[in-house]
Amino acid sequence: MKEISIEEIIPEIENALVDMNLCSPELLRCQMLDALMVEKSEAAREMLSEILENYIVAEEHKLPLCQDTGMIMAEVEIGIEVRIIGGTIQEALDEAIRRAYQKNYFRKSILADPFTGKNTGDNTPAVVFIRQFKGDGLNIHLLVKGGGCDNISALGMLTPGCSPDQIKNFILRELDKNASRACPPLVVGVGIGGNAAYALYLASLALARPLGTSHPDSRYRQWEEQWREDINRLGIGPQGVGGLVTCLEVRIESHPCHIASLPVGMVCSCHVFRQKKLVW
Amino acid sequence: MSDMNEYILKTPLSVDDILPLQKGDKVSLSGEIICARDATHRRMMVDIDSGKTLPFSLTNTTIYYAGPSPTPPGKIIGSIGPTTSGRMDQFMEYFLKQGVRATIGKGERSPETKKLIEKYSSVYFITCGGAAAYLSNFVVRSDVLDYEDLGAQALVRLWVIDLPLLVAYDCHGGDLFESGKICHRRIILL
Repeated sequence: MKEISIEEIIPEIENALVDMNLCSPELLRCQMLDALMVEKSEAAREMLSEILENYIVAEEHKLPLCQDTGMIMAEVEIGIEVRIIGGTIQEALDEAIRRAYQKNYFRKSILADPFTGKNTGDNTPAVVFIRQFKGDGLNIHLLVKGGGCDNISALGMLTPGCSPDQIKNFILRELDKNASRACPPLVVGVGIGGNAAYALYLASLALARPLGTSHPDSRYRQWEEQWREDINRLGIGPQGVGGLVTCLEVRIESHPCHIASLPVGMVCSCHVFRQKKLVW
Repeated sequence: MSDMNEYILKTPLSVDDILPLQKGDKVSLSGEIICARDATHRRMMVDIDSGKTLPFSLTNTTIYYAGPSPTPPGKIIGSIGPTTSGRMDQFMEYFLKQGVRATIGKGERSPETKKLIEKYSSVYFITCGGAAAYLSNFVVRSDVLDYEDLGAQALVRLWVIDLPLLVAYDCHGGDLFESGKICHRRIILL
């Protein structure tokens, strides 16, 4: 049995959260530069230039990339040979968030109750999903997710007769209606299968992949590429001002499902894609 | 898009300032603006309806839909980008009637709001969402006016210099989102 103390993981999670909010990954900067090369309209180019400039200012002035420093989502994979000591994983995550958000002047955006309006004051709790695997490791996939992009999440209970193109059309229609509000260019997560709740979970799981990683199955990889191209043919563009780059990546995750159902979940990340994987 | 004009404007904005603006135009805005988002709007409505006087005049005011991150020591303000404007559509007519002239945010708004902007000779500007550290550079002063208990949603007055904006909805019915999309559309949506 491997023992992992929460005291050991808290500082690492804290550092990751600080880094995610202040620094954009190199690949994201490259993708945004590529977008700038593609866009011709002045409005789209203006938006992309500001996004690129923002990376520099945020890092230099130690200011968060976005004022919305999000709600923290954690996908936790824990080996059955691992024993966590000193507290629960939820407690470890919440303590790391508390420290990171209070020390670094990040915004606390979480209400204790959706109706009372009272802020928890420290940006806790995290939304945590825990899965087990056979082994002695602990992996935590962290996502910092703003409210604007989470608000365009969608669930479609399609019918099992639907073709992949019909699933794509559902995604295209949802994005056509709502993408401008979610700070495009977006990373689009699609979950297919499971049940209603699981399809949305799968879509979130898809966002936990690092940038530039496509699906291992070539069939899904092809759809990811085709759907991205079709989303970009919608013309929504950076910040919705019209343009050729609405979507940076599509990620699909699938799961077995009931013979009567075809649940499709969509969860997006704004262009401030804040993801990190921690391993113990 | 190459026909986009550039304007340098100062608040408070008058109807005359707004009339020439067309969707897609670039505006550099300077002067005082008011920062308010969901809870701030609700609180202001309650105060106005109960006869209280707000600590600023709404006449010809520009409202920025934003809730900044906390101000670090030695800084004027934290990161401050726009929040999704559509959520404030429900308050739009109320505040236009009170004299609000312009709003700043991100994303498309309801068809009703678009019509109201035309009816009240208003304008809806957008600024770049998620470029919040960059946008904090244009703020030269910030004062909390009221509702401090709302944290990031407190009522804040900002002084900005050359805040970079685009005209999203002009007062003649022009809509940058719609025209931008039509211009770049390469697919028929089934």
